[in-house]
Amino acid sequence: MNSFTDWLPTLMIFLPLLGSLLLLVTPKTFRDEVAGFIAALTLGAGLAIWRGGGSELFRWDWIPPLGITYSVQLGGVSLALALVTALMSFIAILYAARRIPNPGPMLSLILAMETGLIGIFAAQDLMLFYVFFEDALIPALLMLAMYGKSGRMAALTKFAAYTLFGSLLMLVSIIGVRYLGGSPSFAMTDLKQNLVTGSAQTWLYLGFLTAMAVKLPLWPMHAWLPDFHEQNHDSGVPDVMGTLYKVGGYGIFTFAIPLFPDASLELRPILMGLAAFTALYAAWIAFRQTDWKRLLAYAGLSHMGFVALGVFSLNETAVIGAMYLLAFQNLYTGALFLSVGMLQERIGSLDTRVGGVMTQAGALGGLTMALWFASIAVPGLAGFIGEFSILLGAYQVSPWLTFIAGITTIAAAAYALTAFQHTFWQARPAGSVTVRDLMHTEWLILGIPLAILVLFGVYSTPALNLMQPAVRAVLSALGGN
Amino acid sequence: MLQPPDVKLLPLLPVLLILAGAISSTLLGFWVQRRTLTFINIGAVLASAVSLGWLWNRDLSAFGGSLRADHAALLLGFVILAGTLMTLLVTLDTAWRARVAFPEFDAMLMYAVTGCLLIAFSGDLIVMLIGLEIMSLSSYVLATLQGSRRAEESGLKYFLLGAAGSAVLIYGLAFVYGATGSLNYAVIAEKTSTLNPDNVGILVGGALLMLCGFGFKVALAPFHQWTPDVYGGAPTSVSLFLSTVVKVAAFAGMLRVFSGALENAPGWHSVLAVLIAATLIVGNLAALRQLNFKRMLAYSAVAHTGFLGMALLGTPAAGGAALGYYLLVYTLMTAAALAIVAALQRSEEGFSITDMRGLYYRHPGYAVALAVCLASLAGLPPFAGFFGKYLVFQAAFQNGYAWISILAALTSVAALVYYLRPAMLMFMPDRTPAREYGLGQRAPTTLAVALGVAGVTVLGLLPNLWYAFVAHPDIWAMLAGR
Repeated sequence: MNSFTDWLPTLMIFLPLLGSLLLLVTPKTFRDEVAGFIAALTLGAGLAIWRGGGSELFRWDWIPPLGITYSVQLGGVSLALALVTALMSFIAILYAARRIPNPGPMLSLILAMETGLIGIFAAQDLMLFYVFFEDALIPALLMLAMYGKSGRMAALTKFAAYTLFGSLLMLVSIIGVRYLGGSPSFAMTDLKQNLVTGSAQTWLYLGFLTAMAVKLPLWPMHAWLPDFHEQNHDSGVPDVMGTLYKVGGYGIFTFAIPLFPDASLELRPILMGLAAFTALYAAWIAFRQTDWKRLLAYAGLSHMGFVALGVFSLNETAVIGAMYLLAFQNLYTGALFLSVGMLQERIGSLDTRVGGVMTQAGALGGLTMALWFASIAVPGLAGFIGEFSILLGAYQVSPWLTFIAGITTIAAAAYALTAFQHTFWQARPAGSVTVRDLMHTEWLILGIPLAILVLFGVYSTPALNLMQPAVRAVLSALGGN
Repeated sequence: MLQPPDVKLLPLLPVLLILAGAISSTLLGFWVQRRTLTFINIGAVLASAVSLGWLWNRDLSAFGGSLRADHAALLLGFVILAGTLMTLLVTLDTAWRARVAFPEFDAMLMYAVTGCLLIAFSGDLIVMLIGLEIMSLSSYVLATLQGSRRAEESGLKYFLLGAAGSAVLIYGLAFVYGATGSLNYAVIAEKTSTLNPDNVGILVGGALLMLCGFGFKVALAPFHQWTPDVYGGAPTSVSLFLSTVVKVAAFAGMLRVFSGALENAPGWHSVLAVLIAATLIVGNLAALRQLNFKRMLAYSAVAHTGFLGMALLGTPAAGGAALGYYLLVYTLMTAAALAIVAALQRSEEGFSITDMRGLYYRHPGYAVALAVCLASLAGLPPFAGFFGKYLVFQAAFQNGYAWISILAALTSVAALVYYLRPAMLMFMPDRTPAREYGLGQRAPTTLAVALGVAGVTVLGLLPNLWYAFVAHPDIWAMLAGR
């Protein structure tokens, strides 16, 4: 038992929180550097885990009388998502430090939220998962409260109420899963051996699903999402973190499928239908948006419909595709939110009908377009592999629903390119201000995610190798499907 | 053969120490400043807490089992003393502003605590009743002591409804005695399982009347109507005392009577479940509409009665442990939140929620502390309120009350909304002049707040520090004694 590598996931989880507290006492002049350094160190810890081929399960009895354990493991899908989280948090910190005046609290909150998010992915105990799931909520709310726009109170109340509505029902489900199954603890290893059977399983699954549907988000539990993004700070930094917080797909994959195998199969057609509808409906609404952030929110929702379709189909190819898409959509959706932030900094508006930005800011326009291509699943970029695998796998389960979802890819091209064309290509209004092109770190902020998207779009083997065994292990619980 | 009475003062030591503090406040008040008396009382509270630790694991009893210093009594006593300590610290700063800075205030407070401890230490219904009456009578005075119209109204309401509650409780007590022929918890518990069918009706009637009486004391709907007016009208430090210490003591009494003596008695479980459901709905939905922060906390106290009461629906082992944990956490977070209100309010009415905008930029320490308390009250991890909620959900769920758990989960969403609004407003930038008392941040209050916040955070991260003490099922299996 190698002691240090066992501690790496714990280090990766709590290092950002430590940094967040450290920032409170750091003098103003060093804050950006300290935050960036901590975020980079967290990413480094993640890469070290990847290099070692994932970590072993680390288990410590947190509250023995209640059977709550601190069980963490980063490997396979969870490691991929944790790495993406660490990377995007780092990039969010880079941009926040550059863009936001007096960014101290924002940097602290980003780091605090990173702890919650990585914890969500690492947790292998249901109660621990719940604790991290809620932990990430507090910094998200504070970011909105401290940096949001005029309608933030309504937005954050909506966001919090939706989240808690789902997660408290999940809490009752969690209690039920252990009590009715008779497991000695909340650790996944124990719960999997003491499954609940019969109709109780379906009810518990529904409780669990409510929380995950809010966080996917899945129609009809999505209403908080556009307001949340619209009211957040113009820079798009909190939106990056908000995108990372859409962990519903992962939660269903890691916890719901192994714990509720019969219910997952039983409800499969309904849930796939909801997912396909979400994808198409969101794309349709996105087409009508004139605010870049709302447009991106609906675009993200549409992608989440795809992720949900893949996960609910319980088909190996589709589930791998869903996890692939879930991981990489964080990169392009996050980077697009930041590019919108840059656009707003230059023209002072988030409207999609500005016109002619491309003539003066060619690099900003070019990189944004490339990111949009990733988003609408152009081959050669990572988004394509995810969406294509989902459609391929889901088609074997339900051709018609997959066809409906497939239409979305066309709709996506329509809404993305129309908005892009209005903002970047159309004629420049007379007398408008000069637009600066990308400067300094802005190149890195959009360039790094794009480079990774190209890399994993062309050479997907490392990521697939990481995810495939984990997906197989989870789906084996269904008895070979 | 005449037996000498079983008089032992050792198990009474924690109560006697508090009583000594009360008597010294009564007498020394003629010569010594009130502030000095408060320090003496803080010393008495600390000494009493030490004596609790000293009595741990001895399982003593006195007066033929009428008074029991068992584990449950010591744990609940500790919670009561924690709340008392925080109250005393807060009054050091705010009593003069509330115009209650005279020795009688301290004396009444300590008499009330004496009664509270007696309830926790009670081994039969009479001792419990004596404790309850000492506590209630002192509390009526405390609520009125300020001498303002608001305080008088609050005190009179409290007295009239509280007296009615006590009367109902005593009536129920008489019924239980009539059905079982004993006042001792252990004997009642023994008799209820082998009861003559003719007496079952009387027992059920007695149990329900006692439930009703206790319902007044802990503010279960529909007996909660006095709560917002009393908590809102009394000086904030008194509201703090009433909503923590007095409520903990009333719950200690309920735990002794219902999970101990009447555990096997039929009927009261389902009625309690209905009352709790009503409390959860009424408390949470009414709190949602409050504009004044102090009044909102009063409704939140009603809502928390619902959450705490869920523990009584569980088996004594699971429910007692859950209640033991939740009561301490509830005391810490409510006391810290009200301590901040007491420090920052301009008048004893508290402040309106909109006045809290931008508090973080004026009093960062208190704002963060208040946010932590509110997050904990809302049940957000990693703060201890979450584990409290989880424990009571679990206790109710495991004993077949899954519907109450689901209802509690749904009403918790409303709870989150009303806790969230003030918490988030504090962090929103604000350019208007401050509307709170600027000099409220003083060392004793800060100490009380720090105790509360540190407790809530540490118990949230390592719940086992306290839960390990309360978790032992034997403690709660012997609530009635042998």
